[in-house]
Amino acid sequence: MNESLVTVVRGVIAFLTLLILTRVLGKQQIAQLDFFEYVLGITIGSIASSLTIDLSIKAFPQWVGLVTWIVAVMLFQHVTIRWRAAAKYINGEPTIVIMDGKIMEKSMRSLRYTVADLLAQLRQKDVFDPAQVAYAMVETSGQLSVLLKPGFQPVTRNDLNMAGPAEIVNPELIYNGVIIEPNLQRAGVDRVWLKQQLQGQGVHDEGEVFLATIDAHKQLYIDVFQDRVASFVDIDDEPQKRVK
Amino acid sequence: MKRWIKSLIPAVILLIFALIMTSDWYWKKPRGPHNDVAMLLQKVRDAVLAEDWAQAKADLQQLDSAWRFVITRVQFSVERDEIRGLTLSLARLHGALLAEDKTGALMELAQAEEHWIDLGK
Repeated sequence: MNESLVTVVRGVIAFLTLLILTRVLGKQQIAQLDFFEYVLGITIGSIASSLTIDLSIKAFPQWVGLVTWIVAVMLFQHVTIRWRAAAKYINGEPTIVIMDGKIMEKSMRSLRYTVADLLAQLRQKDVFDPAQVAYAMVETSGQLSVLLKPGFQPVTRNDLNMAGPAEIVNPELIYNGVIIEPNLQRAGVDRVWLKQQLQGQGVHDEGEVFLATIDAHKQLYIDVFQDRVASFVDIDDEPQKRVK
Repeated sequence: MKRWIKSLIPAVILLIFALIMTSDWYWKKPRGPHNDVAMLLQKVRDAVLAEDWAQAKADLQQLDSAWRFVITRVQFSVERDEIRGLTLSLARLHGALLAEDKTGALMELAQAEEHWIDLGK
């Protein structure tokens, strides 16, 4: 038995299998991965390395194990993209840890998140005083998102036009074609108003909408499934063959 | 490149990989009497039972070359330990035949046969 040759062949099989299946998984960035997905990545990598160099086990069962883990991730992704409730259950939700400059101790305890962690992450966002923070929330990835109080936000073009900065996190009114009723109530609008707004922007049914959010001024941001882009920027090497 | 071809290429590659890794049953099949390991194991056993040591040694030489031939074909789809186990059994069988030890030879043959059956399972 030529062990080096077998290792090379198994290595090629593991490499190309990972390449093909991770391309199918999508382009989620490492920074966006939550802890579970991070562990999944390590496990999949470990199985691939075992498939390559552990010649004491047949290649096929190890390959099946590798494919099983990747397919399991795909299924999870599919479920979390398709069903919002499942996504919330599986991935969790962002948690507010500072509201109007006040640290939410109960939320911090439930996250097992220390004040030292919070202050360190605030400093990484160039915030050295929690009193300057309107909202700070820990995302499902573990990263901290910070919204400063208006007085501590940098001046923007909108400010120069005297536009008031929003102090709320824009709630999602429609996700994946489904209206989110609790967010409608929270934003102080109703279905009739929403449908009027949609029709005003040329959308006749909420099923056409991938994402709709609302800001403090009741301005709607709408992204439809069928993107209507006037000047399409194509970065494909073969733009003439791209399906429009 | 057309979309269906883009999808077909990785699917075909994965299928080829699966075939390579599960092809041991095919590569174990003899391509002639000179590399029929199961048949040669039986021939050695018959010679040992008849205590025809010269014939047993000659058959074992053939069995050795048949086994070396099969290793090169099955190495990508079987466990290294099964290959090593059968190789060691044949090495010990050489010793038993040199010593004209019938019991030892039959024990090694039984173990070699078991390794052969397990190969690729």
